[in-house]
Amino acid sequence: MEIIKTSNLKKSYMLGKVEVKALNGVDTSVEQGEFVAIMGPSGCGKSTFLNLAGMLDTPTSGEIYLEGNDVTNMNSNTRAEYRLKYIGFVFQFFNLFNELTVMENVMFPMMLNKLSDYKDRSKELLNLVGLGDRLHHLPSELSGGQQQRVTIARSLANNPKILLADEPTGNLDTKSSIEIIELFRKLNQEREQTIVMVTHSPEIGGMADRILHFRDGTIENI
Amino acid sequence: MSSIFFYARKDAKKNWKTFFFVIIAIAISTANIIILNGFMDGITDGFLEKNMDTSSGHVNIYPDEQDKYIEGLGIKEKKLEGMDGVVAYSPRITAGGTLHYKEKFKTIKILALDPSKENEVTILLSKVDSGETLATNDRDGMLMSYRLADDLKVKPGDEATIVFENGKPRVFKIRGILHTGLAMDTNTIIINFEDAAEQLNLFNKASIILVKLQDETLSGQYKNKISEELGIQKIKEWKQEIESVLSSFKTFREISNFMNAIGLFTGAVSVGIVLYINILHKRRQIGILKAIGMKDLQVLFVYILQAVFLGAIGILIGDALGYAGTKYLEAHPFPDPTLGSLGPRFHLFLIYDASLVTMLIVILAAAFPALMASRTNIIKAIWGN
Ligand SMILES: Nc1ncnc2c1ncn2[C@@H]1O[C@H](COP(=O)(O)OP(=O)(O)OP(=O)(O)O)[C@@H](O)[C@H]1O
Ligand SMILES: [Mg+2]
Repeated sequence: MEIIKTSNLKKSYMLGKVEVKALNGVDTSVEQGEFVAIMGPSGCGKSTFLNLAGMLDTPTSGEIYLEGNDVTNMNSNTRAEYRLKYIGFVFQFFNLFNELTVMENVMFPMMLNKLSDYKDRSKELLNLVGLGDRLHHLPSELSGGQQQRVTIARSLANNPKILLADEPTGNLDTKSSIEIIELFRKLNQEREQTIVMVTHSPEIGGMADRILHFRDGTIENI
Repeated sequence: MSSIFFYARKDAKKNWKTFFFVIIAIAISTANIIILNGFMDGITDGFLEKNMDTSSGHVNIYPDEQDKYIEGLGIKEKKLEGMDGVVAYSPRITAGGTLHYKEKFKTIKILALDPSKENEVTILLSKVDSGETLATNDRDGMLMSYRLADDLKVKPGDEATIVFENGKPRVFKIRGILHTGLAMDTNTIIINFEDAAEQLNLFNKASIILVKLQDETLSGQYKNKISEELGIQKIKEWKQEIESVLSSFKTFREISNFMNAIGLFTGAVSVGIVLYINILHKRRQIGILKAIGMKDLQVLFVYILQAVFLGAIGILIGDALGYAGTKYLEAHPFPDPTLGSLGPRFHLFLIYDASLVTMLIVILAAAFPALMASRTNIIKAIWGN
């Protein structure tokens, strides 16, 4: 089943009077349970695509379908609700709420979603990412790799259909990067988690089921 | 809602150092309002009570419009005696005249009353500084207001001549010096009712009758009742008597309100600025909040709620300070030559009023930064530019 599908997706920004075409007609789809990597040179529209697929932003034209539903023109409240329930995000850095402990960070989306067993679930998720012993630490007391693992645990809080990660290892050393990517593989294989991940690293991209190559706002067919 | 509360609380707790000053500003503003308003109430109440106790009944009966005196005093007194709820009454005669003492003379206001009746209605005759007060049937005795006595350098026991407005002179002996804290302290002489009636050839007449009721709150009802029974048109309740006094406090009130407004404004501005700066610092976090699914309105609530926390803490401290300050000044008032002392008076509604007003202003001040936070553009916030 197609969990993400886009048709002729375009997004342009106005830089002063110059139109920057960040995406210039992207047609693609991601299947339920797939682990997809997005690669391509800097500025080719990878993040822009992920933001649109994650309903953080709206396209200039074209359509986005999530699980077959047209979500292109939803209002901001409905989009927020979709993000809360169906989408998990991992950004490159500073994803966490500094004021909240590790456990509270993971609990928070569940509280927002009015789940009741958020304490047990957040402990479970933190065990899953190997941080069961850091529940009450603050993000600032963790290493970059550990912070990204907390972010992954948080992104899974509401059992999202889709996990979107924009250069999740971009800020990490090789060892931590491998840990993160192995965690993704585990989530994908054991929990059939759909993952779309942007990366610059061919090794990391190579660990995905499929790679989408972006160039100048479109997908390259190789 | 609980998640919004949760985040607002955590965020505020982590930033308590920044918020500390805001809380202090709110506290001072609240305390300021309580103490200042307490003062206003204290001074006004004090003044009113004094006026009421010494120079007015609960209702006062005046002559009809075209008359100088109330006619048929005896019958009216009988009728007042027969009325349920009327505790006491005191007829008075007021007249002009001059006072002669050792080559000097002064224009005076003559106030004549029957001490036995007056003492049932007011405490005027107890306001004697030195000497003794005027006794019932004390023919030829007078009380002199203290400023007049100072002017003329007289003391109890001295004699002076009063020339009434019709030109008839008579020598009176000074029994005591009167000090009320009211306007009458300047040039008033108090003598017995009978003496004045005799000198002015008044029979069965009075200038005013003060009436004391069992229940002062029923003054409106009794005003009509007395008007009917006695066939009199002009009757004033004590509240009306005091209205002129109240209006002279208006400017005073306005000044104090202005000072309150400045205090509130300072509090509000500091709340607004600190929240604004905090929100600017938290742009990325607000972006993440929205990215993981918090709605605009919920973000707005987070920051309004945060302002409410700060407000609540500041107001509680302010209430305590205001209470303590008002109570202290109530116990240690500033001495004042006319009123005796100037001090605030504590009422619980002072705290309610100040708390409510301050909270409203705090929420108002938070509205703009909170709105700004709720409108944060996710993409720009997360990719920081
Ligand atoms: N908010 C914006 N305003 C103007 N131009 C933008 C904005 N966001 C992105 N762009 C432009 O759109 C194009 C695509 O940007 P995007 O961030 O999607 O690239 P990317 O593939 O993620 O690059 P990188 O690998 O460096 O992260 C770039 O030319 C970028 O300058
Ligand atoms: Mg990017």
